[in-house]
Amino acid sequence: MKKFLAILLGKIIHKLTRTFKTGGGSAAPGLYALKVYPNLVEDFVKQIPKNVVITGTNGKTTTARLLDHFAKTSTLKVIRNHTGSNLERGIASALLSNSNFHPGGVRLNRADLGIWELDEAAFNSVAPKIKPDIIVFLNVFRDQLDRYGEVDIVVKKWCEALKKIPANTQILINGDDGNIVKLLDYCKGKAQKFGLQNYKIAGEHHKITAQKLDLEAVNIKQEGLSENSFQLLTSNINIQLPTSTIHLPVPGTYHIYDFLAAFAAGFNLGCDLEKMIESLKNFSPAFGRVEKFNFNGHEAFIFLIKNPAGTSQVFSTIAGALKKNDRLLLALNDNLADGTDISWIWDVDFEQINQSASLRKHEVSKQSNLERLPRRYAPRNDVRIICSGTRAQDLAVRLKYAGFDPSCISVENNLKKALEQAKTGLGGRLFVLPTYTALLGLQKILTNLGVKRHYWQEE
Amino acid sequence: MKLVIGYLYGDLMNIYGDTGNIIALKKRAQWRGVEVEVRNISIGDRLKAGDADLFFFGGGQNQQQELVSRDLVLSLKGKAIKSEVERGVPLLAICGGYQLLGEYYKPQKEPKLPGVNLFPIYTVASHQRMIGNIVIRPISDIRNLTSELVGFENHSGKTFLKDGAKPLGKVVKGFGNSGEDKTEGCIYKNAIGCYMHGSLLPKNPELADWLIEKALEVKYGKEVKLKSLDDSLENLAHQKAVQRFS
Repeated sequence: MKKFLAILLGKIIHKLTRTFKTGGGSAAPGLYALKVYPNLVEDFVKQIPKNVVITGTNGKTTTARLLDHFAKTSTLKVIRNHTGSNLERGIASALLSNSNFHPGGVRLNRADLGIWELDEAAFNSVAPKIKPDIIVFLNVFRDQLDRYGEVDIVVKKWCEALKKIPANTQILINGDDGNIVKLLDYCKGKAQKFGLQNYKIAGEHHKITAQKLDLEAVNIKQEGLSENSFQLLTSNINIQLPTSTIHLPVPGTYHIYDFLAAFAAGFNLGCDLEKMIESLKNFSPAFGRVEKFNFNGHEAFIFLIKNPAGTSQVFSTIAGALKKNDRLLLALNDNLADGTDISWIWDVDFEQINQSASLRKHEVSKQSNLERLPRRYAPRNDVRIICSGTRAQDLAVRLKYAGFDPSCISVENNLKKALEQAKTGLGGRLFVLPTYTALLGLQKILTNLGVKRHYWQEE
Repeated sequence: MKLVIGYLYGDLMNIYGDTGNIIALKKRAQWRGVEVEVRNISIGDRLKAGDADLFFFGGGQNQQQELVSRDLVLSLKGKAIKSEVERGVPLLAICGGYQLLGEYYKPQKEPKLPGVNLFPIYTVASHQRMIGNIVIRPISDIRNLTSELVGFENHSGKTFLKDGAKPLGKVVKGFGNSGEDKTEGCIYKNAIGCYMHGSLLPKNPELADWLIEKALEVKYGKEVKLKSLDDSLENLAHQKAVQRFS
């Protein structure tokens, strides 16, 4: 009875939030349904033959989306929490929108695979309930210390949670991330490591021990803002890899990790290797993650920014592509979902946009290296930057101290007006870098301008 | 002129945005034609008088903070920092660094960690998380400071001022030292300790300039008046924060 009520309640709320357009219906229905029936996730997830859990600071959504894409090549029917609500309530919402009333009660619609994104904290309580077949650990970076706590503590809690995970769970782990390789000591079952050739992510003062990688991307080339190309190598894994060069239609070296994670999950699920790679041709990035759109006849890109590591990576990706007449619109909000402490912008390597390509080799900058690099450049004044969001003024100061000429920086807290400013007289391309709630606001504005559809309709 | 900034344990103590303070000091000195060197002073390093003209000490994760606390004693750096401050060398310590420079830090269960005894303060761990934007009105006689200081605090340690300790300011919005007595930070000679991240100095340029001036005055033995800069963006950010949060 409780189950029935929970689903009914969830479905009503889902309908209401969509009808009145108060949101995508991605969290509220699950939240209330869980209050009525706390075992909802355990109960429904076990009706799905295979489940994959993805966690980490950056890249969850892109990895989930890639895996979903790969699964479809094997005609697997997928359920996932696809709007980025990566707490238990987000999973509950996805489950109840995929279930229906039958004469015998409530049942989940047929599904072959559940793909569940969980944030760093939610992982600990929710992953053991899901009893996943595969867990992907992508990375840990400093992110919203006010919410998740210190990096060391995040990893410590994951180690604890792993003790509650069955031994037959396949663990996939980023072997280049010095912060998380210690998880390997806590894996009871099989673990595979993926990573990039000659590439290590600087950890929080941990010595980075070179890991022997099971799946490795080699000969990596980044083709501007259109794609990454590379080849794959395996060891210890008995699969026949395609020898051809892989073209991942998403820029940014960091996205190769997302690909490797999704690909490894794919072959562990028995997806066809050739078909997975072939399907990359028609893959498009997730909501706000390197999204490309047409803005008043100009090319425009959206890159979600969340934390120092991710934002530095975004900057290193676009720094080389920025041309005269291009514009940047950065939007920094300090709502709960963005993190209320915006000190992190001072840990972002905004300086790299002023550096020549030869100096831009360090991908994830280490604090201690900060002072060793030569940083005397003339202020960059060929790219106009509009700062927006609730903390636009703080962003403007950050950019000034990163070496941008203040005369090229403008401040407009209102996102809609900021977008207007960006549009007026735009000669090149527009790069929009919003934090999470600014991205939601931006999508709404663009939809009203007829540029984009509601994000929840994109799936 | 040349300014050497001693970044105390910069490789270990650099939680959220601490480096922003170093960037602000460095840029603001450079814009005045002062040559700047940032020196990381860390575990095992020796510190002699005159090695740095200005110290910065940030916050860290628990594990790092313990390491640092031991090293301050073992390497005698704690003593060296204290005697430098006694002769007027300016210092800014935030959060963890502030706590370590007090008399002691008492964790929840473990025994007291002795501090450097520079600030007449002590800190006791609590279960209360004091987190959010903070605005204070300076009450100490820092000549440049004409308005509020704004930042972001995130601590559960409660810091108490001992008799005769001078707070940096009075809390207008937020928790401050202990969340109980409306004081925030502590000032001793030219050393300032407080809980204000944000980062603090970029949005409070008057304070950054005061630290630079003091450093140069002590080093070159003459009064230094830095030429004023166009701080319109900094002031805008400052005013906006004061207006939004207080």
